[in-house]
Amino acid sequence: METRSFLTLEDTSSEDLREILDLARAFAEGRIRDALANKTVCLAFFEASTRTAVSFELAARRSGAHVISLSEKGSAISKGESLIDTIVTLDRLGADAIVLRHQAAGAAVLASRHTSAPVINAGDGCGQHPTQALLDLYTLSEALDGFEELQGRRVAIVGDILHSRVARSVIPAFVQAGMDVVLVSPLTLLPPDAGALGLPVLSSVDEAVEWGADVLYMLRLQRERMTGARIPSVAEYARFYGVSRRHLEGGALVMHPGPVNRGVEISGDVVLDDSSLIPDQVAAGVCVRSAVLALSTGAVHRIAA
Amino acid sequence: MRLSSGRIAEVGDGLRGPREMDAEGLHLFPGFVDVHAHWRAPGREDEEDIQSGSAAAAAGGFTSVVMMPNTDPIVDRPVVVSGLVRRLERESRVRAHVSAALHVGLAGERLTEMRLLKQAGAFCVSDDGLGTASAGVLRNGMLYARSAGLPVILHCEDHTLATGVVHDGLAASLAGLPGSPASAEDTATATALILAAETGAKVHITHVSTALSAALVGFFDGSADVTADTTPHHLTLTEDLVSTLEGLYRVNPPLRPESDRSGVERALREGVLDFVATDHAPHASEEKELPLEEAAPGFLGHEPAFAALYTDFVLGGRLTLGRLIQAMSCAPGRWVGGAGNLTVGAPADLTLVDLSEEWTVGRGTLASRSSNSPYVGRTLNGRVVGTIVGGEPVHDRTGVKFGARA
Repeated sequence: METRSFLTLEDTSSEDLREILDLARAFAEGRIRDALANKTVCLAFFEASTRTAVSFELAARRSGAHVISLSEKGSAISKGESLIDTIVTLDRLGADAIVLRHQAAGAAVLASRHTSAPVINAGDGCGQHPTQALLDLYTLSEALDGFEELQGRRVAIVGDILHSRVARSVIPAFVQAGMDVVLVSPLTLLPPDAGALGLPVLSSVDEAVEWGADVLYMLRLQRERMTGARIPSVAEYARFYGVSRRHLEGGALVMHPGPVNRGVEISGDVVLDDSSLIPDQVAAGVCVRSAVLALSTGAVHRIAA
Repeated sequence: MRLSSGRIAEVGDGLRGPREMDAEGLHLFPGFVDVHAHWRAPGREDEEDIQSGSAAAAAGGFTSVVMMPNTDPIVDRPVVVSGLVRRLERESRVRAHVSAALHVGLAGERLTEMRLLKQAGAFCVSDDGLGTASAGVLRNGMLYARSAGLPVILHCEDHTLATGVVHDGLAASLAGLPGSPASAEDTATATALILAAETGAKVHITHVSTALSAALVGFFDGSADVTADTTPHHLTLTEDLVSTLEGLYRVNPPLRPESDRSGVERALREGVLDFVATDHAPHASEEKELPLEEAAPGFLGHEPAFAALYTDFVLGGRLTLGRLIQAMSCAPGRWVGGAGNLTVGAPADLTLVDLSEEWTVGRGTLASRSSNSPYVGRTLNGRVVGTIVGGEPVHDRTGVKFGARA
C-alpha cells in the first residue's frame, strides 16, 4: 500500500485538493467505514492543542484505528530524548501514521526522514499547518456550494502573518483554489518579502471590505505579541485589524482557526454570528483529518463512492 | 504678488488689491519651515507656550513648525494629540504640526498607537531628545510608522557612548568636562540609515552635527527614503565656546570641533544635508545659569536663525542666498508638504526680510519666554520684518501696516 506524508500544502495541486475534499465529504456522509481498521495512529503532540488533537483522535478512532497519544509531558521527550530518537522509537513500535505537532518549523520534515510511516504535520512552529488549510477549504466549499465556487472569490488574510503557520498553509491553498488573496497586516507582523509572494497588502479590515472581500480570514494574535514591541495596543489592533459587525453588512464571511481572542481580532458579537464559519471549521476537522489519515496510510486510494 | 483666500493668486507687475503693502527694498521669500521645535506646551509654559513659541517662530520668519513630543505629559496618546491640535488652532500664529512620540513615554519599549495618533492629528513621530536605544526596537518602530503612514524624525544618539555633557575633544579635556564622543552620534546615525533603507520607512535625521554622520547620510542617498537637517548653531559655532564653562553653551548634540562644523557646512552646501532646522529649545534661566555640567541642554533657535546663517554664510561668500532659502524654505516645505514655494495656488506663507538691517540679538529682541540664545550680544545682518501665514500678517515690523494703500 502506498503511503504519503502530509507536510505542507505548498506543492499540492488543485486536483489533489479537490480529491481530498471529496474524500472528506464521503467520510462526513458516513460512506466510508473502518478505513483504518488494524492501523496504529500515533498522535505526538509536543505543543498544546485542543481542536487539532481532539479531531485527529476522533478521526482515527471513528475509522477503527488504534490510537496512541504522546505529549511532551509523560513521554521520554521530557527526559531529553531528541525528536529523531522519539520518531525512530514510534516507527519501530509499528506506527502506521505519525501525527506530529511541534514547536519548531521543519520538525515534520525532519521526522519524515526517520520513519517509513507517513508523517502528518499537525502544525510545526511558524511553519505549516496543512490540515487546518484543508479543513478551511472544506468549510468554505460547503458554505459556497462547491470547490469550483471558490474560483475568483476574494479572501483577506488578516493579522499576524509573520508568526502564523496557518497563514503559510492557507495562502497556497486559497491560491490553488483560484481565490484572490490579499494580506491585511501591519509591517511589523508581515514577513519582510511579503510583496514577493505577489500578494497585495492592505492596511485595515475596512480596506479589505472596500476591496470586496468575500471572506475575512482572521488570524490569532498571540498574547505575547500584544505587549507593545510589534503592536502598540489591543485598542489600536482591534480598531484596524479586528472584524466587527459593520464589516459583515455586505455579506462577507468570517473564518478563524481558533482559539479566538474575543475583542482583539474578532469582536465578541461576531464569533458566533450567522456570517461566522468558525464552528463549521471546527466541525470539518474530523472528516478532513479522517480523509488525510486514510490517504496517508494508503487505506483509501480513490474516492469510495 | 496678489494674495487671495490665503493663497498666492498671481505673480507679476501692476497687480492691485483692496489692501496693498509696499515691500520696496525688502526681499520676499517663501515662509521658512522649521521641522524641529520645542514649544514646551503642555507642561513647561514658564519656559515657552504656544503663543510665545509661535511668536518667536513668526519673528524668525517661520510660517510652519513641527513640535516635538517631549513635553509633560508626553505626546504619546491620541487624546494628548487632539487636545494639542485644538489648542494650536486657537493659539498659534503659524502653522504648527504635532510630532507624537514613537514609543510610549519616549522609553523605547512599547510602540505608540500611531494609527490612532495620526487620526487624532499627529503629523509624524519621534523619540526626540532621547533617541531610541535598541536597534531592534527602532526597526519595529520604523516598520509600524510606515504602516501608519507617518514619517519618523530621529535624534541619533547612542546612550552607551553619550555619557558626557560636551563633545569629547580638546575643549572638554582642557576644561575638565565629561565628554561624549562623536561616535555616539555616528553609530546611531549609521544604525538609523541602515534600518531606514531596510524598512523603507520615511525617515528624517535631525540635527546632524558631525562630518562623518553627514557623509553617512550622503552614502545612503538614493537607497533610503531619508532626509536630514543640521542646525544654525552647529553650522556657526564650535566647541571653543565650552572653554567659557557657561551653562548656556550646553546643547545636544554638543557643539563640535571646526573639522565637524566645516564638514556639516559642506554637506549643507552640496545638498547632502537637505535643510536647516533650529531645534528651538527654550529653558528657564535657573536651568541654564548653572555650571555647564548641571545646565539643561538646548538653545533658542527660531529668531536669529536666518540672520546668523545669512551673516556667516551668504555675506561670508560660503553659501548662495538661493541655497540658504532652499535650506530654510523650499526643502523643509516639501518635507512638511505643500509649503516653501511661491507658485500660484500655493499657500500665502511668506517672509519679508530686510537684508541690509544690522541688529544685535538681545533679551529685548526675543519674543520667546526664555533667553537662552547663543547669539545674544552678537550683531547680525539681515532681519525678518514681516511674516505672513495664509495671507495674514503674523509678525509685522514693516511699519507699513496691511490695509493702508501704498
